[in-house]
Amino acid sequence: MNELSITKKSIIAAVCLALCVVLPQAFHAIPNAGSVYLPMHIPVLLCGLICGWSFGLLVGVLGPILSSLFTGMPMAAYLPNMVVELAIYGIVSGLMMQFIHTKKLSFDLYISLILAMLTGRVVAGVVRALIFSPGQITMQAWVTSYFVTALPGIIIQLILIPSIIYALTQARLIPQRYPKGA
Amino acid sequence: MTGMLTGIYVPGRSVIHRLDARAKLIGFLALVIATLSTDSWLGYLTMLAAISVLIILSQLKISQVFGSLGRMTGFFAIIFLMNLLFFSPEDSWFSWWIITPSYAGLLQATNVVFRVSIVMVLSNILNSCTAPLDLTRAMEALLRPLSFIGIPTGQIAMIVSVAIQFIPTLLAEADQIRKAQVARGAKFDSPKLIEKAAAIRPLVLPIFLSAFRRADELALAMEARGYQPNKKRTLRNSANFSGLDVFAVIVCVLICLSQLSLM
Repeated sequence: MNELSITKKSIIAAVCLALCVVLPQAFHAIPNAGSVYLPMHIPVLLCGLICGWSFGLLVGVLGPILSSLFTGMPMAAYLPNMVVELAIYGIVSGLMMQFIHTKKLSFDLYISLILAMLTGRVVAGVVRALIFSPGQITMQAWVTSYFVTALPGIIIQLILIPSIIYALTQARLIPQRYPKGA
Repeated sequence: MTGMLTGIYVPGRSVIHRLDARAKLIGFLALVIATLSTDSWLGYLTMLAAISVLIILSQLKISQVFGSLGRMTGFFAIIFLMNLLFFSPEDSWFSWWIITPSYAGLLQATNVVFRVSIVMVLSNILNSCTAPLDLTRAMEALLRPLSFIGIPTGQIAMIVSVAIQFIPTLLAEADQIRKAQVARGAKFDSPKLIEKAAAIRPLVLPIFLSAFRRADELALAMEARGYQPNKKRTLRNSANFSGLDVFAVIVCVLICLSQLSLM
């Protein structure tokens, strides 16, 4: 995935940014979709994995802001925390894909995804406990909101994101990470 | 599904439409800060007066300004009740189980709902009265100082502008795909996690494939026309700040300062 030009990376980042607004709306018909399926996380993680950490960071920061401006969700009160969480997802997923090369795409993807999801949640919890809601969040509340409630979303992301990457590679919309015969 | 969006540009010739996008963006930020720092009745009245003047000057329909608030009524009701009933156990009117309604809770509930509503209305007015391209250029202009520390502000503005233009198209496509999957019997509310994931996959995968195909075509077209991300570009119309723009910014900053002084 190193052959993408800067222009193409920019446009993919733009599309992922648009999907940060579109996907939560597409999930609108499903009850509690926002907190359970975490639809906004998918384009941010994908952008980091495909375009690298800087584009992942950009989509992570601007995605929730743009969605909040256009649809009113997430609410302004949750915005700073969400921006931090998604920015970390974008950065870590991009950095991991840059540094991890196991010669197996699925291993690279899962290691990057799991590390990004863990780091994002830990940093978001720390930032919330120290800056945004000091003294108001307990360890139990953090585990419940970031892992228990979000468990379906985490599992869905772990299933969906690699399959999206495989589908995009097969459709030749992104280059192969380990080309055959290379 | 585009009906869910309120902040879509509505062409017009009102005073707010004619203001420079940079002035509108600075004014918007000042009024958002003012709203978030409001916690007195005088502050509330000032913000309501400012919003009323903006709505009159913008000549927008009430549905365009308040459309998103209507859809959030249920959410606002829940937030209001939660703050009212659980905010403060001290000085509560009565206490039953964990329910402790109090005057402090009522104030907090009003504060939260008021602030969120005002910020939503402000963002609706800004987006409805400013063409996306103008808004992007304004963002680029305001972010320009960051380019001195190596942040590619022009590229960021281009990405945001393309994203904004993609939103209505992708929304329409996502809606079509969702309806097609429902017609094929997709069950998004199954209690089993694997079934849920299986139902979500045919919804999300085509959305991504279609979006990336569009991105591929657009990137190819841009590269074929010689687009280079790091080159400096010029504008056909370079607008200058008029007296009215300066006046609008000064009024918004004064409102912001007055609210901060009331804190």
